[in-house]
Amino acid sequence: MTLKNGNMSLQNLPEEIHKRKRVIIGELRERTLWFIRLRWWVPPSLVAGATVARMVGVEFSAGALVLVAALILLYNAAFQMLSRELEKELDWRTDYVQRFTYWQVGLDYAAMFLLIHFTGGAASPFIFFFIFHIIFASILLKPRSAYGFAALAAVGMVIISVAEYAGWLSYHGIVFRGSALRLNERPFHILANLGFFTMSVFITAFSTTAIMAMLRKRIVSLAELSETLTMLNNKLNSLYVVTQAILSSQHLDQTLNIVTTELARVMNVVGVSVKLLSEDGKQLRYAAAHGLPEQLIKEKVVDIAKSPLNRRIIEGESYITGHVTQREMFQFGEDLAAAHIQSVLFVPLKVEDKVNGILGAYCKLPDRFKDDEVNFFLLAAGLVAIAIENTRAYESIGQLMQDRSWFMMRVAHNLRAPLAAIISILDVVRSGYQGALNTEQDEYLRRVDRRAHTMLEIINELMTLATERTDKRRVSRGPVDITLLTRRIRRTFQDEATKKGVGFQVCLPDGIPNIWGDFEMVEQMLENLVSNAIKYTPSGGNVSVVFSRGNNGTVRIEISDNGIGIPKTALPNLFTEFFRAENARAIEEHGTGLGLAIVKEIVDQHGGRILVESEEGLGTIFVVHLPVAHKEEPS
Amino acid sequence: MTRNAKILLVDDDRDIRDSLRIILEKNGYTVKTAGNGREAVACLKSEMPDLMILDIMMATDTEGFDLAFELKNSAGFENLPIIILTSFLEKVRDEGPDKFQHILGEEWPAKWLFEKPVDSKKLLDKINGILAGN
Repeated sequence: MTLKNGNMSLQNLPEEIHKRKRVIIGELRERTLWFIRLRWWVPPSLVAGATVARMVGVEFSAGALVLVAALILLYNAAFQMLSRELEKELDWRTDYVQRFTYWQVGLDYAAMFLLIHFTGGAASPFIFFFIFHIIFASILLKPRSAYGFAALAAVGMVIISVAEYAGWLSYHGIVFRGSALRLNERPFHILANLGFFTMSVFITAFSTTAIMAMLRKRIVSLAELSETLTMLNNKLNSLYVVTQAILSSQHLDQTLNIVTTELARVMNVVGVSVKLLSEDGKQLRYAAAHGLPEQLIKEKVVDIAKSPLNRRIIEGESYITGHVTQREMFQFGEDLAAAHIQSVLFVPLKVEDKVNGILGAYCKLPDRFKDDEVNFFLLAAGLVAIAIENTRAYESIGQLMQDRSWFMMRVAHNLRAPLAAIISILDVVRSGYQGALNTEQDEYLRRVDRRAHTMLEIINELMTLATERTDKRRVSRGPVDITLLTRRIRRTFQDEATKKGVGFQVCLPDGIPNIWGDFEMVEQMLENLVSNAIKYTPSGGNVSVVFSRGNNGTVRIEISDNGIGIPKTALPNLFTEFFRAENARAIEEHGTGLGLAIVKEIVDQHGGRILVESEEGLGTIFVVHLPVAHKEEPS
Repeated sequence: MTRNAKILLVDDDRDIRDSLRIILEKNGYTVKTAGNGREAVACLKSEMPDLMILDIMMATDTEGFDLAFELKNSAGFENLPIIILTSFLEKVRDEGPDKFQHILGEEWPAKWLFEKPVDSKKLLDKINGILAGN
């Protein structure tokens, strides 16, 4: 039995069909085995029946009956063995199972005819057992086999009856208490009996095959339904893959490549393309394609005026299907034909009613795209359009950020150039190259120089903030060697601390993992914190930097001092640009107020945390948590 | 050799030019100045200096680089030591080491690059070092 299908989609999924065939064949096999099991009961029943009949006084050829029972026992044993062999094979072929069934029914028929012959021919009570065989045959075999077996039963009965009547075969009747049912002596009765028997077997064959035909139809339609469901599920999965590609923050190229490949797979077409409309709306460029000739995608631009199909989509049609044979409809029909593409489906990529491109599917079969595929393609197009729009928005934001960054750089340069000139000239004058200065002149020029340097610092730090915020790509992350980091911090600040009379320790216990981040940025962050700590700690005080292992895969860095502390009112604004606490101003008049803002920015960019605890007059503790570099990364 | 050595100073900022010239001259160097690449080429042709100090951004953002690149590829000038000045270190970093590596060799940027305002003591040390052959 094969699943008959005129439906293309069934052929697309050979494994599915295969599975279903196996279910149906599996049933056939089950029935076959059941048939063998059932047959085991026949010989003992025959012997038991014969014995009982004898006991109640029925006379008949019991010896022949026992022999037939033995014959049945014999061939059923052979079937049993054969089926054991076959059971090992998982994959029964349909024709094999059917042949097996023919043999069984055939031998059963032989046994039946023998039984009937030895129990009175046309008058035998066994003739009704044919009905069972015909039922089995119509369930297990093709309808015409059922009719064939029915005919065989009828013809066999006629032959036996005629042979017995004519005396070609000896007659073995059943005798009970001296009276025998001698049908072979009464032709009319034989005729009537055979007539009814023939009708019964044919009616049985007809009704069971009709029921089976109906059942088979149901099975096929169920198979088709499950086919459709599988296809739908496939498409749903595909939409999910497409959505996922769109939502993950990939570049548009990557996203579109995934989308076109996935759509081509699920729609079972040779190619899928995404074409985007140019600014002037006159041309379409291939933004991505799967399965189309390389040279078509890379070199060709679709001129909308020359391509009626594309034009109709751009002008607002909801979808178009076309045949490559209508060459005048395509600008590059020759290329498509060369790639053996016969039919296409185009749908618009639309955002808020504006068409900004076309999603196309290409198939090697003519007239391929049906309503459900068009609907699916329209859904996919909706998603692709969103992806394109999102990327464009993202890119324009990126461009804006870049413009801002560039502008900041310009501003910084233009501010720095005159400042550099001022400082350079001051250098000449203060160095006495143009004549010696008196003490007062020197003092004032020193102040000018210091203010100029503060301004330079502000510009530099603003630049740092601006570039770090806008241009994150510059951050080169890797494992930060903290042994090197602590050595450099120690070297940078040891002298300054000693000169000021402030104790300075950096403590790095063994087994602290490296930090994941940008070495220069982490160093700058630490420098800002340590430099502040030393600056705001009076002589005799102490500054320490302690590394330890934090919770949740972080390195904890504690920078503590017993300096002037931070007033409670100042804490909330501590990390705000240009903010400076009152007591800090008292110590250093011209700070930039940007140091801690940069610290915060760097910690945030590393996905870390910074906490501060301070008591005015007692000191300050900054605690920074930064992520640990993973072990597998080379350090 | 380091004293009386000839230095060509190229910068479009007159104030920088003047102040650096004074510092260099007071330290015993003979200094010629140029305000742009064209003038610099003219000076180079008339007299070969021992060292050149070159600003990057002049009329264009890369005028100094273009000049340095040209010199490194011209016969007779390929061994001229060039100290690069910039007031736009971010841009120099942005354009990437790739662009400068072939001009300045492995030592970019720390050794040959000075950010403006220039620390005159460090610049003098560097010039002395280069001219002494270090």
